[in-house]
Amino acid sequence: MNTLRLTWLLLRKDMQVTARSKELVGVTLMFAVLCVLVFSFGFLQSGAAAIRYVPGVLWVTLLFTSSVSLLRLFAPEEEGGTLALVSMTTSGSAPLFWSKVCLQLLFSALVCALIVPLVLLFFDARLSNVGTVVAALGLGLIGQAVVGTLCAALLAQVRLKEVMLPLILYPMLAPLLIAGVKVTALSVTGVESPALSNWLSLMMVFDLIFMVVSPWLYGRATQP
Amino acid sequence: MTSAVVLRASALGWAAQGRFILLDLDLEMRAGQWTAISGANGAGKTTLLQILSGRRAPTRGHVTLHGATLSSLAVHEIGGRIAMLEHQPGLYLDLSGRENLTLLNALCGGQIDAAEELLAQVGLPPTSWEQRVRLYSRGMRQRAAMARVVGSSADVWLLDEPATGLDQPGRELLTTLIRQATAKGISVLMVTHDIEMMHKADRRLCLEQGQLQPVQERV
Repeated sequence: MNTLRLTWLLLRKDMQVTARSKELVGVTLMFAVLCVLVFSFGFLQSGAAAIRYVPGVLWVTLLFTSSVSLLRLFAPEEEGGTLALVSMTTSGSAPLFWSKVCLQLLFSALVCALIVPLVLLFFDARLSNVGTVVAALGLGLIGQAVVGTLCAALLAQVRLKEVMLPLILYPMLAPLLIAGVKVTALSVTGVESPALSNWLSLMMVFDLIFMVVSPWLYGRATQP
Repeated sequence: MTSAVVLRASALGWAAQGRFILLDLDLEMRAGQWTAISGANGAGKTTLLQILSGRRAPTRGHVTLHGATLSSLAVHEIGGRIAMLEHQPGLYLDLSGRENLTLLNALCGGQIDAAEELLAQVGLPPTSWEQRVRLYSRGMRQRAAMARVVGSSADVWLLDEPATGLDQPGRELLTTLIRQATAKGISVLMVTHDIEMMHKADRRLCLEQGQLQPVQERV
C-alpha cells in the first residue's frame, strides 16, 4: 500500500478522533480569539499606528495557537499506546508523520480563517495585496506544521513537554516568523518593494529544507 | 518432531543506568509452541518482550526472526511478523472497537472485512462494537486488544500479561485462542504472574537475575 493511501487512512482517523473529542478544536479557536483580544487591548491605538501592529499580532497569534494544538497532536497515539504499533504496521514512519502534518495544517488553516478577519477588524486594517498575504500565510503554516510536528513527535514522551515545545519550536521558526511578518507588513502598508519576493523565497526555501529533513529525522528518532 | 525456530535471542543483554537487567539471555521460540515467562516485578520481562518485538534495541546480543537479525529488517517487516499485546491496548480510545480493527487491518493490508468476526471471536457483544474504546471496561479493552493480535498475520505473538482484567470466561477464551494459534504454527510467548495461565503453557520459564531458567528445574 502506498504512502499516500496510508497517510490518508491515518489522517481520516485523526479527523474522526478530533471531531469526537471536540475539546481540542474549541479550545484552540478560543485561545486564538483570546490572543487577538489581548493584543488588541494591549496595543490600543487607532489609525496608522494600529496598522503597524497587525503583522506581529497575526503571526504571533498563529505561533502561540499552533503550540496548543501541537501539544495534543500525538495524544491519541500516547493514550492508547498505538505509536509504535502504527509505525510498525505501515511502511515506515512517513505516513504517520505526514498525516500529523496535514492535521496540524488543517487546524492552523481553521485558526487562520478565524483570526485574519478579526485582526483586520480590531486594528482597522486592509490588505493591499491579498494574494501575497495568502501565499505568505500558506508558506508559514506549512513550515509551522512540518517543524511543529517534528518537535511534537520528538517531545511526545518527554516530561515537561509543555515547556520544552515552545523553547525548541520558537527559535527554529524564527526565520519563518520574521519573513512572514515582513511580507504581511509590506502588504498592509501597500509599499511596493523587491524585498517582498525575497522574503517569500526565504519562506519557500525554509519549507523545502524542513520538508526533506523533518520526516528523515522523525524516522531516525522513532527507530528502536 | 522438533519444529523450526522462529525467533531466537542470543546472548541478549540490556542495561539501564549501568546495571544489566538482562544478561547473556538465550531464548528460542519454535513454531506452534506456547512459552510462558514469569518473574518478579522489575525482573525485565516487559523489556525482554520489547527487545524481542524490535521496539527496543538490546545493549548486547541480537534477536533473529526466521534467521534474519531484527536490526537488518525494516520496521514494518517486523511488525508484520510479530504481534504484540502490551499493557496499553494498542487501540485508539476515541474510535469504536470495529473502527479500530478496520483501521489497523487496513494499515496492515490485511483482513479489512473481518473486524466484526474478530470482535465476536474475542467475546465482545455486538452492542459494544460501535462504542468508543474509551467507554470499555479494562477487560473489554483487553479483549479488543486481543482481537487485534488474533486478526494480525503475524507468526509470533508476544503477550504481556494478557489475562489482566479478564474474567474467568475471558481467561478460558484466551487459552482457546492461544491454542488455536499454536495449532496453526504460531509461536506464542506470554509474560504472566498468573499461575493458572502458566500451567497451561507448553514451556514455563522464569526470568531471574537477567536470565531465563526452566520453572520445573527450580522446583
